[in-house]
Amino acid sequence: MPIVEKSLVEGLERSESLQVEGIDVSGDWNTFIASRVHTDLDLSIVDWVRGQPQGATIDRCWQCGTCTAGCCMHTDYGLEEFNPRYFIYLAQLGYDKELARYAQTVWRCVSCNKCVERCPKGVKVEEVVHSIGTYLELTGTAPKSPADRFDEAYTRNLLARGILDEAGLFQTFEAGEGRTLPTGEKLRMGLRLLLTGRLHTGPLAKRTRGWGRLRPVLERMLSEDLARRRQDLPARLPPKGGP
Amino acid sequence: MNPVLVLGGGPAGLSAAAELASLGAPVLLVEKEEYWGGNPRRWHYSLLAPDLLPAEEVLNPLVSRVEGAPLIERHLRTTVSRVEPLSSGFRVELKGPETSGWREVSSVVLATGFDHFDSRRKYEYGYGRYPDVIDFKEFEGMIHDDRLTRPSDGALPKRIAWLLCVGSRDVQVGNPWCCRMGCAVSIKQAVEVRQKHPEIDTYVYYMDIRTYGLWEDLYWKSMNEYGVKFIRGRIGQITQAEGGKRLLATGEDTILSRPTEVPFDMIVLASGMEPGTGTKEAAQLFGLPVGPEGFLTPKLSDLNPVESGHPGIFLAGAATGPKAIPDAVTEGMGAALRAYKHARG
Ligand SMILES: Cc1cc2nc3c(=O)[nH]c(=O)nc-3n(C[C@H](O)[C@H](O)[C@H](O)COP(=O)(O)OP(=O)(O)OC[C@H]3O[C@@H](n4cnc5c(N)ncnc54)[C@H](O)[C@@H]3O)c2cc1C
Ligand code: SF4
Ligand code: SF4
Ligand code: SF4
Repeated sequence: MPIVEKSLVEGLERSESLQVEGIDVSGDWNTFIASRVHTDLDLSIVDWVRGQPQGATIDRCWQCGTCTAGCCMHTDYGLEEFNPRYFIYLAQLGYDKELARYAQTVWRCVSCNKCVERCPKGVKVEEVVHSIGTYLELTGTAPKSPADRFDEAYTRNLLARGILDEAGLFQTFEAGEGRTLPTGEKLRMGLRLLLTGRLHTGPLAKRTRGWGRLRPVLERMLSEDLARRRQDLPARLPPKGGP
Repeated sequence: MNPVLVLGGGPAGLSAAAELASLGAPVLLVEKEEYWGGNPRRWHYSLLAPDLLPAEEVLNPLVSRVEGAPLIERHLRTTVSRVEPLSSGFRVELKGPETSGWREVSSVVLATGFDHFDSRRKYEYGYGRYPDVIDFKEFEGMIHDDRLTRPSDGALPKRIAWLLCVGSRDVQVGNPWCCRMGCAVSIKQAVEVRQKHPEIDTYVYYMDIRTYGLWEDLYWKSMNEYGVKFIRGRIGQITQAEGGKRLLATGEDTILSRPTEVPFDMIVLASGMEPGTGTKEAAQLFGLPVGPEGFLTPKLSDLNPVESGHPGIFLAGAATGPKAIPDAVTEGMGAALRAYKHARG
């Protein structure tokens, strides 16, 4: 079957220069689709989740689907991708690549706890799902989303001067995403925000008093917190870089 | 009163014989093998599902009750070679090392049991070719004797899979029925492995889990307390990988909707229960009908599951279909009562 729209195909691999047994198969000649065959089981995810106070009931799940059937997000809100039953299965058997695809979606739970009320096996579904989310966050198995990058830019911006520079944040984030607006447009928008009192600080805002001493304390706290949360992560996965 | 012939010395036959003796009836107990206890003894079952009682604690009392009863005449390594009907009861010809010749019996309990499906017939699983593909009846003995090492190299496996429904629920081998025991026994084996070696990872490949009735508790326990993992889908073939060091199970994870090729150190096949050769012989000998599956069939399985429909012939245990020890023992008691009533006339 010809590949019509390559961007729609998952796992497409192509290398610009490749020689196989002396034959040049660069470019389109070596466009392959990665195998969908799953080749190993790894229990380090479920071991980690089970070890968390929130994740202790993960082993109980037998995939009946009661939770997903009543889930506000899945059924009422219609976010089909948010499937607590499926997340649990993937974590139970260590299907890490498949699980990583849901690293963002997994946080869409609104904690209504209907699932916990209904699960016939006594799985604390809501907690387990959050624990799986935490695992994905800490191991960084998923590519960073715009939301992740925004979080990071926000933290950096705040740490720099102890007060948020909203205009600067907007500027760096936009630039980082490669989505710059024309300067005229930006100025117009900035002005409107300023006039309506919604742009609190700009590049001229005052630095927080004593920030020079406070900042290293905060930075240390953040990195210690991250280190602590990663402490007992399975060694298999490289931890994600901090903000 | 002529004795009641009990054919087969497994759980059902032993139970029937002891019950008859307790009613005061003389019994002729005949077993073709050289031991009492049927399949559980033959394969050295370890702990029994569902209560994880050592098999000896169930088998030994069954055997000692029979051995301690003066009314029971017992013959190992003995079979019935011919049968002739009498106006009341039968004449049977025994063949064995201690006793041979014709005997008159008042009624008959057939407790001839089952045989395991021969896993070699599912050639795609490599049983008989790859030493680390093991039939679960053999695995019972391995657990029992604490020999959990791989037959190929004597190493302790790190990862074991069980494959359910081997030779059951499968028209390719002509066995569409469910073996009833395979799920519970496999899960029990995984629990035993985890009890002894928590470092071994255990996986069960299943289509359905049929731990019926109160046995469900075993299934829950295996997940909740022992972390046994369940993968939905039937392994399609087993090959060797890593230069013969490991086994590769090719299947589909039907929840993931993806093909899987997973290496294991050992794969245990839950082979089904088939009508025993002894059961087929007994059916011919006594002229009894068998069902489409080859098991003996009670005339009215709802109303009277121990009556063959032929006057004076009663049925008990796995001869009429796959069943657990408690059911075989209960049927032995029921058949004994009916046989006693018939013998009394
Ligand atoms: C691997 C495995 C594990 C199991 N584990 C459990 C468990 O944990 N718990 C549980 O409850 N059940 C278990 N079972 C089921 C259990 O084995 C049966 O319920 C039980 O064996 C049935 O007893 P039976 O007497 O009817 O038949 P059998 O055990 O098959 O005994 C029949 C006896 O009759 C003899 N015989 C047959 N034909 C003749 C003949 N013509 N003449 C003379 N003798 C004859 C045979 O040699 C045999 O000794 C297990 C089954 C399997 C396959
Ligand atoms: S309801 Fe409970 S057992 Fe059923 S799929 Fe959800 S978590 Fe698993
Ligand atoms: S608590 Fe979360 S997972 Fe559970 S039903 Fe509500 S939204 Fe769904
Ligand atoms: S008891 Fe379980 S293993 Fe045996 S045939 Fe039925 S479903 Fe399969």
